[in-house]
Amino acid sequence: MLEQLPYIAAATVICLVLFVVIDILWKLPKKGGVSGAEAIANDIEATGGNKHGGYMIGNIITSPDASAGTLLAACGFFIYGVIGAVVAAVLVFIGARICADKGYAGLTGALAATAVIWACTTFLGFAPETFIAGIVLAILIVEVLSLKFSSKIIGKLWGKRT
Amino acid sequence: MIVEAICALAAVYSVIRVLLEKSTFKKLAYLNVLNFAVAGAIVLLLPHPITIGAAVAYFVGATLESNAIASTLAVGGEE
Repeated sequence: MLEQLPYIAAATVICLVLFVVIDILWKLPKKGGVSGAEAIANDIEATGGNKHGGYMIGNIITSPDASAGTLLAACGFFIYGVIGAVVAAVLVFIGARICADKGYAGLTGALAATAVIWACTTFLGFAPETFIAGIVLAILIVEVLSLKFSSKIIGKLWGKRT
Repeated sequence: MIVEAICALAAVYSVIRVLLEKSTFKKLAYLNVLNFAVAGAIVLLLPHPITIGAAVAYFVGATLESNAIASTLAVGGEE
């Protein structure tokens, strides 16, 4: 049972890097997609966080972004392999439209996660379910441990991109 | 087993943070993590092709609720 722990730790790092990079590439920290995301960013900034990091966290909360795409692709892959992950990617795309999100971060995240999970399970011996635990831990690190600290790090990464 | 335990612990920890937090906007961030953990747990405990649809429906529905709450508060609703 515990032999999966190193794989889960590695999957957490892979998922964290994957969804943060894709979200920043799709300019999620630039502005809030809906008024609710901007309000969340203002609240995070008011308690000492970074505004652009707040925008990204607000966008993660209010619509399915790359982190949701990674989670649902991992779920799809766990159940039905690559086909399940691609079905999940299509459903994430529809879900983003339902949430008034005009971007493609969720779809890109799901497809990129499918490729990464396929490569890791085929060549590196990861079990598909380690990525479900990995993305849950990754989003826990970003959103629960400290919103102030994580928004500052995302803000710095966004500053480097622009 | 360990994967299911991680999802369950993440869910319980985020619920505790939701209960202790006063700001509604920050509660939504912790609730988002709860949704991740529950969607993961649904799939891990019920491995069946239809579960993919159920997990996506749950997750998108929960996200839409957070979106609605945050947007309502943003345009002048009472916190």
